[in-house]
Amino acid sequence: MEDAQVVALLVRRCIAGDAVAWEEIVQKYHRRIYNICYRFAGSGDDAQDLTQEVFIKMYRTLNTYDVERGAFMTWVTTVTRNLLVDHFRKTKQDRVTDSLDAAPSEHQDAMPLSEQIHDKSQPPDARVQSRETSETVHKALQKLSPELREAVILRDLQDLDYREIAAVLRVPEGTVKSRINRGRAELARLLTRTYRQVM
Amino acid sequence: MPGESKNGMQCAEFDALLNDALDHTLSASKMESFQAHARVCPVCSLLKAEAEEGQRWMKSLAEVEPPANLVHNILAATTGRESAQVKLATPKPSWIDSLTAWLRPTFTVARQPRFVMSFGMVFFSLSAVLSLSGVKASDVSHVDLRPAAVRRSYYETSGKVIKYYENIRFVYEIESRVRDFKRATTPAEPAPEEQNKERKNDTSGQPEQRQERNYSQGENQPVLASLPDDPPVVTMTTYRRFV
Repeated sequence: MEDAQVVALLVRRCIAGDAVAWEEIVQKYHRRIYNICYRFAGSGDDAQDLTQEVFIKMYRTLNTYDVERGAFMTWVTTVTRNLLVDHFRKTKQDRVTDSLDAAPSEHQDAMPLSEQIHDKSQPPDARVQSRETSETVHKALQKLSPELREAVILRDLQDLDYREIAAVLRVPEGTVKSRINRGRAELARLLTRTYRQVM
Repeated sequence: MPGESKNGMQCAEFDALLNDALDHTLSASKMESFQAHARVCPVCSLLKAEAEEGQRWMKSLAEVEPPANLVHNILAATTGRESAQVKLATPKPSWIDSLTAWLRPTFTVARQPRFVMSFGMVFFSLSAVLSLSGVKASDVSHVDLRPAAVRRSYYETSGKVIKYYENIRFVYEIESRVRDFKRATTPAEPAPEEQNKERKNDTSGQPEQRQERNYSQGENQPVLASLPDDPPVVTMTTYRRFV
C-alpha cells in the first residue's frame, strides 16, 4: 500500500474513534511538526507548546481533512503554519522585551540529534564549533521576516516542493520562489555581517 | 535590474530560474544562458551567490530531537490516554527527577536578569532599612527562640504597648469623658432595699457579690469597732501623673 493510502486509512480509523491509529499519527508526524515550530518560534519550550496545540487542533478537525484535496502532510503543515501565524501575532509585543532577557544557551531538548549523540570521530573543538555555528544560523533565521522564514524553512528544512509550499502559504508558486530566494540571500547577508563582527 | 536584458535573458527571468538552478533542475540550454547572464550582471550574480550561501547555511541546520515526553503529553491532551510505547520505553522517574522537573520552571524564571535585578534591589533596600534602624545581624542571631522565651517577650511587649497607650494624655482624656458621659446618661441606681428585694427573687443562680455577703452577717456577729454618729469628714484629692 502507498504511503498516502496508509495515511488515509489511519485518518479514517481515527475519525471512527480508534485511539491506536491516532497514536500512530502522532508518532509519525510529531518530529516534523516540532522541527517546523522550533525553527519558526526559536525556542524549545514554545515549540513544544505549539506542537501540542497543533495536534489538539488536528484531533478536533480531523474530520475536515479531505483526501481528494491534497496530501495529509500538506494539510498538517497548513494547520501548523496557521497556528504559527497566530502565535506570531500574539507574541509580537513580548518579543520586543524578551530579546533583552534571552537566555545565553538554547533549551537542551532542542539540541540537534547529531549533537546529543556523541560522535567519537569528531574532536570536541569541532563539536563545539558546529554547535555554535548551528546556534548562529538558528538565531539569524529568527531575524528574517515571518514570510521569508516560513518559505525557507518549508523548502530547505522540510523539503516540501514549491507546489506544496504554495498550497500551505496560499500564494502563487512564483511568490514562493521569490520569497525563498530573498530569504536565503537575507540569511547569507545576516550571517556574513555576524561573522565579520566576530572577526 | 528587473526588466533589463543581458545576454538574451532578463533579470526577472533570472530570478524566476534561480531556484531551479540551485536545485539543478534546469535544462542544459537554460543553464547556459542563466550562467552567461550571471557572468555579465553583477546584481544577479550577487543574488545568486547569496542565495547559494543561504541555502548552504540552511542545509547545515540539523534536525532537532523533540523532548521525550512530547508524544505522551500530546496523547494526554487529546485522548487522555497514555502511549503504550512511551510507557514501555521510559522508566519511572525517581523522586529527585520529579522534584527537579517541578522546580525547573521556578529556577528558569529566577535565572532571568530581570528577576535577579529585582531580587538584588529588594535585598539592598532591606539591608539599608535594617542598618538605618540599628538592627545588627549579631543581635538577630542571639534572639532566644524557645517557646517560653517567645511567650514571655510577647507578654512583655504587649504590656508595654498597653501601658504606653493608656498613659497617653489624649486617650486618658477621652476615656474620662466617656466615663462622665455614661454616668450622666445612665439612670440613678435603685435604693438598697429594692436591690435586696430583687436579689431575693433572683433565680439566675449567680452568686451574690462578696462585699454584700460580708455585710449581711452584721446582726449576728460581735461588733469589733464602731463609728460615732457624726463621723469626721475626710477630704481626699487624687492626682494622676501623666507620663
